[in-house]
Amino acid sequence: MRERLVIALIVALLCIIPLLVPTFTLTLIIEALIFGLFAMSLDLMVGYTRLHSFGHAAAYGLGAYSTALILLHFNLPLPIGIVIGVAISIIIAVPIAWICTKSTGVSFAMLTLAFAQLGYAMIFRFKDFTGGSDGIGGIPRPAGPFGLDFFQSKSGYFYLVVFCLVGSYLLCRAIVTSPFGAVLAGIRENETKTRALGYNTRAYKMSVVIMAYGFGSLAGALYTPFAGFVAPELFFWLVSGRVLIMVIIGGAGTLIGPILGGIFFMLLEQQLSEVTQLWPLIFGSTFIAFVMLAPDGIWGLLTKHFRSKRPVPGDGEDGGASRAAS
Amino acid sequence: MNFAGFIVAQSLNAFSQAAILFFIACGLTLIFGIMRIINFAHGGLFMVGAYVGYTTVLLTGSFWLSLIVAPIAVGVLGGVFERVFLSRLYARHDGGAYLMVTFGLAILLAEGVHLIWGPQPRSVAIPDMLRGVVFILNQPFPIYRLFLIGIGGAAAILLWQFLERTRAGLLIRAVSQNAEMVHALGTDVAMVRTSVFTLGCAIAALGGVLSTPLVTAFLGMGSNVIIDAFVIVIIGGMGSFLGSIVGSLLIAFVQVFGAYYFQDMALAIIYLLMLTVLIVRPGGLLGSEQ
Repeated sequence: MRERLVIALIVALLCIIPLLVPTFTLTLIIEALIFGLFAMSLDLMVGYTRLHSFGHAAAYGLGAYSTALILLHFNLPLPIGIVIGVAISIIIAVPIAWICTKSTGVSFAMLTLAFAQLGYAMIFRFKDFTGGSDGIGGIPRPAGPFGLDFFQSKSGYFYLVVFCLVGSYLLCRAIVTSPFGAVLAGIRENETKTRALGYNTRAYKMSVVIMAYGFGSLAGALYTPFAGFVAPELFFWLVSGRVLIMVIIGGAGTLIGPILGGIFFMLLEQQLSEVTQLWPLIFGSTFIAFVMLAPDGIWGLLTKHFRSKRPVPGDGEDGGASRAAS
Repeated sequence: MNFAGFIVAQSLNAFSQAAILFFIACGLTLIFGIMRIINFAHGGLFMVGAYVGYTTVLLTGSFWLSLIVAPIAVGVLGGVFERVFLSRLYARHDGGAYLMVTFGLAILLAEGVHLIWGPQPRSVAIPDMLRGVVFILNQPFPIYRLFLIGIGGAAAILLWQFLERTRAGLLIRAVSQNAEMVHALGTDVAMVRTSVFTLGCAIAALGGVLSTPLVTAFLGMGSNVIIDAFVIVIIGGMGSFLGSIVGSLLIAFVQVFGAYYFQDMALAIIYLLMLTVLIVRPGGLLGSEQ
């Protein structure tokens, strides 16, 4: 109950942001929220199933490119374009998940990386279709359903992103707290044992990979009309590295942590890169410091404080606890 | 056009490229074999090697000296990093943590190089002795590339013999098979790890120095090359030294001939190759099944 209250409060706070801040700041916040969503999608794999993906950029790129092509070539309302873009990405994710889950551990990470890099290469291969290294520009932001032009304004788009982020969070939460999520935790802690209990762990892993791709591609799909262009760099392994960092900095296996990590990362990058040229140095060091000193991430730091004082009701199954066990 | 000459020249080209790739991939695979670490900073160390080599040539005028100075400098850097950061993570048994820390180091290295040497590429001249071309079947071929083939081949044989024939090599192979057992038998495993990490970094730096006369030292060289090196290590088998030789040759040939015959697919082809290998043999060509 208390937690619902907190979520409602945060959503309410988010909703009044467009009234308070200038347009430029709003742009930054939108991008940060999109990355928060992206990081959260990876957390399903990394934090809850301990499937280290090093190619999550594939999900982002797939979502971004398919939405871009849909919006560019079909005169569809924006939300429908995004839904179709995500649907296409999920369909493509099925064979990818099938192949990747054939292996585990480092091989799994490398297979996911291979697919992302393959996507990167394919953008160059089919350049008539994808624009090659130039990417695709001038992506429209068509009016919403029933002719609403709500999403064309910056604040309207902000609400769309908030809606998707909160919706995805609630969905992911439902997933990880369901019996399905319990099996995922079983795979994370001991896959052999879980298989011995009669669960088809491969099918569970495939499902979670497809889900992570789905939410990740939603982040990519939201990015497309917001930025107005897509570039092959969206598939590049550095993007996969960055999102993995966001998950770890935020606190893997907590959903909310990676969202915070994504937001923190983007805002810090935007702010510091304006102030100082040394930003990547500071960032690199902060990052190493997090891994060494605070493996539970931002969320772990925040909740540790709470935890030591009194047990928090309604926060039973998670927080830093599962991470510490993993 | 002289077809045989073309094939020979392209093959030699591929061999010289394989030599450079091998210098990065073999360190990566040795480090993985012994510590189960995917060292993301390996490309960065390769780049730092190139820049240190450039500065050495600038100060002393000797390319040969840079072949010694850069590996030592980068080896020390890598060894210190291993001692200060990585060695504290072994107990955590969390593959993710290594990935993160070395990724952080990769960022620091890229930025450090940017700060010290600036954004513009730095070129190093080919030493006088190795300048010019020789004609092989009427095709001109740069002597420097022949030199690369020679030094790459020599390094591969030396390292292989080192791993197979010496006591230190035996220890390295033993630790990669069962570190706990070796530790129980009274060997300082931590020391073996630090040494291998240092060695791997030094070899990568050597590769960096050797590649500068061909491609100059530039900021993106690390991230360009690291993915190729990953692909090699995965195809060859993670932790397999011979696998890194086979993988380097395979990738270099695919790149050189692929760029000629399948220009459209040149980028995609090595990833397709990697996927195929991983699907057929998840442990890589010469690796053990995981």
